[in-house]
Amino acid sequence: MNRLRLPLVTACLSLSTLAAQAPPEDLAKRVDALSRELERVKGELSARPTSDTVLGGYGEVQFSHFSKDGSKDTADLRRFVLALTHRFDDRTELVTELEIEHAVSSADDAGEVEIEQAYIQHRLSSAWSLRGGLFLVPAGLLNERHEPTAFFGVERNAVETAIIPSTWREGGLQVVGSFENGVVLQAGVSTGFDFSRWDAASTEGAESPLGAVHQELSGARSHDLAAFAAVNWRGVPGLLLGGSWFRAKGAQGQPGMPAMAATLWDVHARWTPGPFDLSAVFARGTVRDTAAFNQTRVGNPTLVPSRFEGWYGQAAWRLWSSGSYAFAPFARFESVNTAAAFETLAPASLTPQAAPAERIWTAGFNFNLNPHVVLKADLRRFRNDTAQNRVNLGLGWAF
Amino acid sequence: MPARIRTVCLLAGAGLALATALACGSAAQPADPGGLSPAARLGEQIFKDTSLSASGLQSCATCHVAEAAHGADNDLPAQLGGPAMNLQGTRQSPSIRYLAGNTAFRYDAEGTPTGGFFWDGRAESLADQAGGPFLNPVEMAMPSKAAVVARLAAAPYAAAFRAVYGDGIFQDAEQAYRCMTLALQQYQREDPEFHPFSSKYDAFLRGSVRLSDAEARGLALFNNPQKGNCAACHPSSGDRPLFTDFTYDVLGVPRNPALAANGDPAFFDLGLGARPDIDRPDLYGAFKVPSLRNVALRRVLFHNGRFTSLKDAVTFYVQRDTNPEKWYPLAPDGTVMKFDDLPSKYHGNVNVTEVPYNRLPGQAPALTDAEVDDVVAFLKTLTDGYTR
Repeated sequence: MNRLRLPLVTACLSLSTLAAQAPPEDLAKRVDALSRELERVKGELSARPTSDTVLGGYGEVQFSHFSKDGSKDTADLRRFVLALTHRFDDRTELVTELEIEHAVSSADDAGEVEIEQAYIQHRLSSAWSLRGGLFLVPAGLLNERHEPTAFFGVERNAVETAIIPSTWREGGLQVVGSFENGVVLQAGVSTGFDFSRWDAASTEGAESPLGAVHQELSGARSHDLAAFAAVNWRGVPGLLLGGSWFRAKGAQGQPGMPAMAATLWDVHARWTPGPFDLSAVFARGTVRDTAAFNQTRVGNPTLVPSRFEGWYGQAAWRLWSSGSYAFAPFARFESVNTAAAFETLAPASLTPQAAPAERIWTAGFNFNLNPHVVLKADLRRFRNDTAQNRVNLGLGWAF
Repeated sequence: MPARIRTVCLLAGAGLALATALACGSAAQPADPGGLSPAARLGEQIFKDTSLSASGLQSCATCHVAEAAHGADNDLPAQLGGPAMNLQGTRQSPSIRYLAGNTAFRYDAEGTPTGGFFWDGRAESLADQAGGPFLNPVEMAMPSKAAVVARLAAAPYAAAFRAVYGDGIFQDAEQAYRCMTLALQQYQREDPEFHPFSSKYDAFLRGSVRLSDAEARGLALFNNPQKGNCAACHPSSGDRPLFTDFTYDVLGVPRNPALAANGDPAFFDLGLGARPDIDRPDLYGAFKVPSLRNVALRRVLFHNGRFTSLKDAVTFYVQRDTNPEKWYPLAPDGTVMKFDDLPSKYHGNVNVTEVPYNRLPGQAPALTDAEVDDVVAFLKTLTDGYTR
């Protein structure tokens, strides 16, 4: 229904724009033409059956060439997502996303089939809504809006992958308040982390500390629940300012486990003056009681850090557009550290060294065929782990 | 084995197990106030009964001594048995603690042999394992199951056995023998002595005690995949780690001249290769990875009892390839006869790729002598019965 309203709005806007700019002698003809177009769209609108169930989705195809080791080159249908939304009435709707990663999911393949979202949203009033089920955690700029048409670069940025483990979802209850002054408040209680899943022998925790212990509502241990809150402000056109906070204990009542209270917070901003798109995120995670946890796992390559953090700044410019085409180069600098600090162990010589921050330059472009289909290319350069340097090509869609 | 035959065998095995379980069903009677069920109490009596051996001198407890963590309490490379107690087996008598979580022998998805009881995994359960020594000619050496059952019927606890398994149980020797092994299994499962988790390391995992600096350094070296890498086969993580992954490895342990069987130069114990049902020459020479719990109580180590010092055993791991001359005899031409307890055609089976074996003569061992001491200090924290 919303999609069918768009041509009407566009026609009306075009009409008003023409009225302001066209010479008087052409105006009558153009008004007639637009009126006919308006009637045609209205007719199409009335002829189409309306539905309370809407199918959507997005997908990402990616090719990566690793500069230093061509044997690592990959081409991958990284994500294929089908989204189904059903409106039960004008106050209650179901929102779902079903995702297949890496094209094939079987016992012998790396692919995964995941429910990314599955929640009921009920509108209490014009400002307040409730969500219950499996929902995306409000954190950073990308986690809740992660479709390939919504971000620059073939891959999601490292900060919102390693520090904020996008696409990060938990099961629980959430209240959402949207106010006329542009403030959006979100807060709730959800499932949290399970640190017994931490595999000190693998590198998973070094890639994303919270990604290694979040539970995605898959038989999630729920002795220790999480609390979270986020505020975003869109009071000025083109400007978004916000922040989020998430806290959970990770012991889940298991014997021998210290409490492992983990906190993740972020501040973020996005400003889109004219053709420019500027954004920045800073995110930091902390974990308590890691010394007691790590002491039993000393010697393993990946112990739990007491702090991990990262930030990025990104600038994009819609350099050219024609019709539905749009070309926008961008550049992004990131600093990410998944092991910025460790609590001291006994003896102190066993305490792991804090990792150096990885600094990543990414430059490339998004070329939109239309608002729903995007071609992407970028170059990523890593200061420390240069083996990760690569050129990416991507194709994405969202509808 | 063809899939159809295997299926039939599995079904037959399952049927036999079900029939036995039904016949021995009263084993599931409630536990007594002391904590053991009647079947487990019977199992304890059988475990300690020397009358069930040909010599009349040997019981399960003879080679699996509680004070030695249910392993041997002497430094013989293999225990003596037989009718006159003068025959020696070929393998060290291992601790039988912490086996309740083990499974029957199988190959995992990658073809890795896993599980099973005894050094070569040939027994599929604790009960199956318990039934072996009674009939082994170099152990308890009874001539038949019927002979064992006849002794059982004359034991002081025979009435209790009948009470648990039925009045007519001794009339079917096969069934009575099976029930006897199930009672032994029940005893090992129920009695906390077989899985006390009472070591200093357990207290450390529970957060009630700290490791000394040397012990903590030893744990780090034990876990470190670039140093000891011991945890790769002896996992130390979890709230109750067993320190074994129940897999198998070919270590190339030196031949033990103290083992009587090795007087025959043609004799080689091939581990998995000694099993008639395994036709995987790449596994010949592989023995089960034992739990390291209570390893400091063992007076001989490895399957052939080649080492009598824990420090020597740890040092062997890290110097086997850097200083082979320390561990293996020299040939007349002066060359080191590495892996001398395996026929040369199976030398390629020995693990030389993983840390700490992946080194060459002249290179530094993965652990220094001081680091070996730290690992040994840590291993001593795995001894049950820790008190502050």
